[in-house]
Amino acid sequence: MKLFNQKTKITAAVAMLSLCGTATLAEVPSWCGPSEASVALLDGFGGNSWRQITTASAREEALKCPQVTSVEYADGQGNTQKAISDIKGMAARGIDALVVFGDAGPAVLPAVTSVYKSGKVVVPYRVDIGGKAGENYTKWIGASFVNDGENWGRWIMEILPNGGKLLFLSGPAGNSQGLDELKGLKNVLGEEYVFVNPAPFAVTNWDPALTQQVLTAEVSKNPDIDVIISDFGPSLLGALPAFAKFGKSIPAIATSDGNSLGCFWKENQADNSKFKLFTTATGNDNARLAMQWAVASATGGTMPSDEIFLAPMFENSVSKDPSPVVCRPDMPGAIYNSAQLSAEDQAKIINQ
Amino acid sequence: MNAILTSFTRFPISFSKEFLTVAASTLVLLLLCVLFAPSSLSYGALSGSLPFAATLAIVGLGQMLVVQQGGFDLSVPGGVSLAVVISSHVPAGNSADLLPAILLAFVCAMGAGLINGFMVGFLRLNAIVATIGMNALLFGGVFAVSGGVPRITTDLLAVIAGGEIYGIANAIYFAIAIVLIFTIVMKQTVIGRRFEAVGANPLAARAIGQPIRLYQMMAYLFAQLHYCVAGILIAGITVQPTAFQGNPLLLPSVAVVVLGGTSLLGGRGFPVATVIAAFFLSQLSQLALAVGLPYSAQTIIQALALGFGIAVYSLRWTRLKEFTLATKKEKTNEII
Repeated sequence: MKLFNQKTKITAAVAMLSLCGTATLAEVPSWCGPSEASVALLDGFGGNSWRQITTASAREEALKCPQVTSVEYADGQGNTQKAISDIKGMAARGIDALVVFGDAGPAVLPAVTSVYKSGKVVVPYRVDIGGKAGENYTKWIGASFVNDGENWGRWIMEILPNGGKLLFLSGPAGNSQGLDELKGLKNVLGEEYVFVNPAPFAVTNWDPALTQQVLTAEVSKNPDIDVIISDFGPSLLGALPAFAKFGKSIPAIATSDGNSLGCFWKENQADNSKFKLFTTATGNDNARLAMQWAVASATGGTMPSDEIFLAPMFENSVSKDPSPVVCRPDMPGAIYNSAQLSAEDQAKIINQ
Repeated sequence: MNAILTSFTRFPISFSKEFLTVAASTLVLLLLCVLFAPSSLSYGALSGSLPFAATLAIVGLGQMLVVQQGGFDLSVPGGVSLAVVISSHVPAGNSADLLPAILLAFVCAMGAGLINGFMVGFLRLNAIVATIGMNALLFGGVFAVSGGVPRITTDLLAVIAGGEIYGIANAIYFAIAIVLIFTIVMKQTVIGRRFEAVGANPLAARAIGQPIRLYQMMAYLFAQLHYCVAGILIAGITVQPTAFQGNPLLLPSVAVVVLGGTSLLGGRGFPVATVIAAFFLSQLSQLALAVGLPYSAQTIIQALALGFGIAVYSLRWTRLKEFTLATKKEKTNEII
């Protein structure tokens, strides 16, 4: 009996070891190749919670590959000259792969090109800096804002099949994100959906104070707005209580996610019969895809299959698919429940 | 009837040219609103825009103090933003910690104001240079407190600043109280009268023994306190303010002072006219939004309004009148 027990124990131990071995092998992603490499993240502007969470996501992604020897970070602080010298400085320090958030746009292209030509892997992401892959940089990993617009448009068609009045709020005048989102919306929605804002979108500069003033002006002019579309959901928070002053329900909202917005919906949906919520992921994980490309190129791994980051749909208060509205009242309002990074880790980052 | 007349002669009600100009412009604007965009005067629209007009008025009064001393305060964005982040980050959602946070915001504002005042008043630094430097320093503070990350305001501050009493936003009561105190101090007290005299002619004021440097320093100190109050109100009104909420206020703060009729060379101030100018600018944006003008047109209209304001006060109308009369006379002589 004793021998049998021992045998069983040995068998079990062997089985466990082999399982662990398989698990360890499975944890190394295919984009992580055999060569060692150091990587750096270069942010054009790192001073908000979205950027901090995005940076942490990219760092977490890089560390999934054991061949990555170090992950460096530099914040351009919104200063184009600093961003350029950061890029060149990281390359001079011997970093093998650079993931660049080129906020300054084409202004950073010459620096990116010179670093790429010196043999480094350079992966700009999210902001289009011009140039061509293979000539100026390794690969550009853009985000499809047109896709966001199409996702919002399809949801609007579900809840308002016969058309309706829409108000579209975006950031500064002429920003390309807002224009792309509008293109996506118009790809899906027909003539029966009327935009009540001045073309192409109501300008809010993504500033909560201006959003509040613009929203009240638009609502007083068009009291029967059916859907508000905004590419920065949390900036609506201060403005939405204005509907109570007009004696109206908050209308349906299609936007990007944020913990504060999810909690606002949970608190107010009972009193506002028309308040439906649909969100797409805010896109922190765009940085993960860019990091995968950078590490794959630098370590000789398999290139990821995705070339563009498609923000997944996140909350849908009507169908609960892919997720019902998420609120973590125990967590800060500025975290993003759609991000892969855990809520606890996000809270730690923004409360530093 | 006689009694009423006597009381009028005893307390004559006189309105300055500046007050009448801005009041008349505002009435014309309101008429345009009634004709072209009545929705911009609805209760809902006003309840959205007036709290921000109130904060702009408070910031404008602060800027006016500095302008009255012939200076410019470019540290408005930093001062307002620092008050916003201190009042939203330090309590971290806990209403019990709101009072210490507000006190801390006032202490920081006093520090910034005293340094500004010392640099301009005593070290004779150029006001623009000194306050730009202070603005950068204040934004350093903003980053130190917040890391640039917004945080949701405490419930208590949201009620105090963003709430309503009798259907009127609390921010408006704050603005009214501040302008009342401001006007009484400036127009009815010895200190206030001397402050204006120092601004109008520092050399003459020094000749009669006034401590002009002290008065100049006080202008910057009290200006920062105004920005601090405005910042705290904005933190409550916007619920989730950004860390850079003061940035859009710099130019409007100068604009309302100019529209209110205060000379950029210093001297007499017009607090009530400045507050009306803040309402004027805010309502002008609301009119442009309600009419549905594109963003470019909104910006152009605001710039034109400001240009018009400066022109009204800068042109020497009497000279213009004399010139026109003289030309007419010449023409008449030629005909004869």
